[in-house]
Amino acid sequence: MKQTYQKPVINKHRSGLMNKFGWSPVYARKIRTEIDGVPIDRLVEQFGSPLFVYSERAARRKYRRMFNAFSTRYPNVVFGWSYKTNYLQAICALMHQEGALAEVVSAMEYDKARALGVPGERIIFNGPHKSLPVLERAVAEGATVNIDHLDEIVDLELVARKLGRPVTVGLRLNLDAGIYPQWSRFGFNLESGQALAAVKRLAFGKLLRLNGLHCHLGTFILDPQAYARQVQKMVAFGYEVEQAFGFAIEQLDVGGGLPSQIRLKGTYLPPDVAVPEVDEYAEAIAQALSHALRPGDHPRLIIESGRGIIDEAGWLISTIIGAKRLADGTRAYVADAGINLLFTSFWYKFNVELDRQVGGIDETSVIYGPLCMNIDVTDEGIPLPPLKRGHRLIFSPVGAYNNTQWLQFIEYRPNVVLVTETGEVELIREAEDLSDILRRERLPRRLALKPAGATPGEGS
Amino acid sequence: MNTLAASFQAPAAEARHAGSAAGQRADSSPGRPRFHLGGGGELAHALFRSYAEIFFLHGGLAGAALCAVTLLSPHVGLAGLLAVLAAYAFARLIRMDRTFLESGYYTYNPLLVGLSLGHLFQLTPLTSFFVIAAGILTLLVTIALAQVFMAYLRLPILSLPFVVVSSMAYMASLRYSNLLHNGAPLPPLLADTFGLPGWAAGFFRAWGALLFSPSVLVGGLLSLIVLGRSRILFLLGVMGYLVGATMRRFMLGSPSQAYQDLLNFNFILIAMAVGGVFMVPSVRSYLIAAIAVAISTLVMDAITGFWSYSGIPAFTLPFNLVCLGVIYVLGLVGDPHIARRIGRTPEETLDDYLATLLRYPGSERTLLPPFAGKWTVWQGFDGQWTHKGAWRCAYDFVITDDEGRTHANGGEKPEDFHCFNKPVLAPVRGRVVQVVGDLPDNPVGQPDKVNNWGNLVVIQDPRGFHVALSHFAQNSLRVKAGDWVERGAVIGRCGNSGYSPQPHIHVQAQLADTPGAASVPFSFVSYVEDGVYHANDLPREGRPVEPLYANKRLESLTNFALDEEYRYQVRRGARDLGELRLRVKMALDGTFYFDSGRGALFFGKHEGTLYFYRATGDDPRLLPLMLVLPRLPLAHREKLAWHDHVPVGLLVSGWRGVLVGVASSFWPRLAEVRVTQRFAGESVVETEVESPLLGVRQTGTVTFNHQKGFCQVTLGDWQLSRKDYEN
Repeated sequence: MKQTYQKPVINKHRSGLMNKFGWSPVYARKIRTEIDGVPIDRLVEQFGSPLFVYSERAARRKYRRMFNAFSTRYPNVVFGWSYKTNYLQAICALMHQEGALAEVVSAMEYDKARALGVPGERIIFNGPHKSLPVLERAVAEGATVNIDHLDEIVDLELVARKLGRPVTVGLRLNLDAGIYPQWSRFGFNLESGQALAAVKRLAFGKLLRLNGLHCHLGTFILDPQAYARQVQKMVAFGYEVEQAFGFAIEQLDVGGGLPSQIRLKGTYLPPDVAVPEVDEYAEAIAQALSHALRPGDHPRLIIESGRGIIDEAGWLISTIIGAKRLADGTRAYVADAGINLLFTSFWYKFNVELDRQVGGIDETSVIYGPLCMNIDVTDEGIPLPPLKRGHRLIFSPVGAYNNTQWLQFIEYRPNVVLVTETGEVELIREAEDLSDILRRERLPRRLALKPAGATPGEGS
Repeated sequence: MNTLAASFQAPAAEARHAGSAAGQRADSSPGRPRFHLGGGGELAHALFRSYAEIFFLHGGLAGAALCAVTLLSPHVGLAGLLAVLAAYAFARLIRMDRTFLESGYYTYNPLLVGLSLGHLFQLTPLTSFFVIAAGILTLLVTIALAQVFMAYLRLPILSLPFVVVSSMAYMASLRYSNLLHNGAPLPPLLADTFGLPGWAAGFFRAWGALLFSPSVLVGGLLSLIVLGRSRILFLLGVMGYLVGATMRRFMLGSPSQAYQDLLNFNFILIAMAVGGVFMVPSVRSYLIAAIAVAISTLVMDAITGFWSYSGIPAFTLPFNLVCLGVIYVLGLVGDPHIARRIGRTPEETLDDYLATLLRYPGSERTLLPPFAGKWTVWQGFDGQWTHKGAWRCAYDFVITDDEGRTHANGGEKPEDFHCFNKPVLAPVRGRVVQVVGDLPDNPVGQPDKVNNWGNLVVIQDPRGFHVALSHFAQNSLRVKAGDWVERGAVIGRCGNSGYSPQPHIHVQAQLADTPGAASVPFSFVSYVEDGVYHANDLPREGRPVEPLYANKRLESLTNFALDEEYRYQVRRGARDLGELRLRVKMALDGTFYFDSGRGALFFGKHEGTLYFYRATGDDPRLLPLMLVLPRLPLAHREKLAWHDHVPVGLLVSGWRGVLVGVASSFWPRLAEVRVTQRFAGESVVETEVESPLLGVRQTGTVTFNHQKGFCQVTLGDWQLSRKDYEN
């Protein structure tokens, strides 16, 4: 067969010998031909590319593994599924089936949970922005509302007055657990006395009853002991509040922030070294609880899980649409998925797998997305063999945050499928088309280019 | 279903009477509400109960009727009344507790003595004195013998004091020439046999002879009273008479002698006592009763022969000897059908027994599963490997994954096992008395045969037993001997020390504090097995078990305090049944109940579960509550389900109730009323009450909100809505 001509470049070879990075390029090449037994080819054939693929088995396994890690160490645990991580209905439903509450942070997420059929009493309502109407609805429906700021106390008192009964609420704290950055923009600061002042205010108003404390340290927390310090401070504060104001603290919500197995950009060690096992977090939290809680007291421990569970259950299949060399000789590929679909590429160095064995020498390459934006880069330097149009790259883990933060920008958003535990493939979100984009638009008549009625999607 | 309204008919008569005549039976139903009235009512009540006790009936109304029947033979009736009054007066003189007196338990023997003397002598002033003396003597003998029998044999005295004192009185009277013999023949009405055949007339005369009026009329009335109260008792009476008299007919060879013998009442009493009172009515109890009657013929003829030398009748001696003997032996061999709670009628005993059997399968040595989260029973009681012999009552727990494996990786190291190093929690509160903590964790599959129990903790439970936990990980104990631990506290970590082929927790209850002591039965409380909540039971082998810790919200919502009042608007279909006020009260035995004024609904919290134990009295409006929420786990879990059973008497009444009452002694499943409940939300419980055999099915809900108590209760067409909210 005649080979395609390529302009010669000088390349540093990394052959199969040992090198300081500890891997051998040929053997370390990662190939993925199927997801949960379903061939990549078949998936793309049926649902197109790019394509988000979720594994039900992986999601459920991970949920149970994480839940058991906590529940076998502390006898009163419940998970709150963090909607913002992934609020695809199918994914949320799966988590609710496993027993998770819904943890929502906006009116939209609240509506979404309710629309899915989650009763109000199984919703935890966090976040800095809760408008009065949604607060009223959430309280009336029995949701756990965690107060973020003083103005919200006033709002909730209004709601209580309107409902004519006292309202049970939670309070969000921020505290110094020895990690940086300290998320002090949410809730009330513990050490400065803000939190106690807020409880005093609650007690003074007599309309709100405090029954829970909430604190979310941050995201991708790599130090389990940070949670131990957090729990210890929350329990101590809880007892202080119980003693001083007579409230009964029934739940401790320690937030989320558990990492997934992925290398963050700028970290040196690979995730299997850098990211502690979930058992270590569970152990730290349970130990701290058993030391801090009084004998016989077992308030409900809420873990707001998100990334740790779903991230590794999601893959994005993308297809190379073109290969090129940059001016400096760097090999570059254009794929049909970029940062429009992979918001987490700003932090993650993804695990990129090929759909087949490809011969040739690895070259450090750049992967671009389909956007005509310079920043649309999903990997800035990855050793890849020479790839051609039609070869596929499979990005993982992509289960967390991408399907919530993806952009409808330049491209349509693609299909999302779920591989069931029995190996069937179910479409859980259909690819967008023009009607999705035009549906909400209103074109004033005076600007219409075509006679009225001829433009699909035009409002009347 | 109109059964609901009618179902309180039977207790109604009882309670209405109780309300008017004061006092309630305190011994048989602890904690029934007591309605206090004046002293006169109390006396009448004690008096009538003495009559009822003779026929194992509890209730003043039946007693009053019986009293009236005895007065058909004035001498007999008046003498009985006199004796019982004398005994009562003497009891008050020596300041006996009124509660005991009211039960009639101490006064039916004096009554019998009085009746027997009235039967023998005409009532003159001198005889009256004699009767009074004998009555008081009987009371003394009763109190003394009752104590001796209860303390040494755990037996009731039945009518033994009557036999003793009556025999003495008869022997003494042989020397008292001034007592006038009651030689008058029976008045014609009483002597009439109403054309009945010999055996039937004999049957009724034997009933009458029980009250020393051997007349067909008196006996007929008596047996009707008994029939009205309990079909089982009546049928047992018939069976006893027929078996006993027929036996004797063949032994003696003379039908008339066999059927007309007045002592035949012994057969009736034996059959009733053994088959329906002291044993839970069942085919077995009926068979044992028939056997007891059969053997009593021998006893009876022996006694009659011997006693007649002294010119005294055998009275109820055969009944006492045989009945006490049979009950004593049944108790010795631990017969499961010995009635532990004797109801007002055998039907009630049976219903209560069947419901209790199904409702409370656990034990009184209650442990919380000694871990958090979902573990699997590896070995239960009488396990196939090591839970045998002296150690048969023990549980082993491991953690299994979705594939049913207990380990990940190769399972070659203890660390590979899911349960290894997981916290072990104290299953009871108590004092730590023994610990071993420094033994190594064995390699997998190589148990330590020297230190069988490995690292261990023994906790002394103040309720009178010890709990031993074994196979902790090396150096993982967080307690030392002398420490006090609360339930749920972390005491160590699961390991693989001792005779342990793979990491697991071993737990057993024992009486001694030494490791490896013989185990005793116990049960687990408050756990979920396969999504179903169990309040107190034994999980099955191979099943996942997860303890449930009470949550503060449900605890406080059901924290009913004394004298609190909950008001409900009650509707049934379109009918408004007015307001139901439930006030929290405490009974004599320390149990709590909601008092509605007309009835009582007993409740209690035990180890993480709220129970409604039973409804008594005359208030059908309590029924929905009892049926819709016989129990409630004090911890919410989404879609958690649980089961319970309620007495069938709450659901059926009228002729169906009568039939079911008798038939369920032959076919106990007939009385099985299953209640299935589940949380339909954090504040809603859905209930289904069902008896497939009787074709009864009702559904209902209980709703809570933020305030103590239930917000709304529905069951079938019943609806109870809380009224006192916006206070």
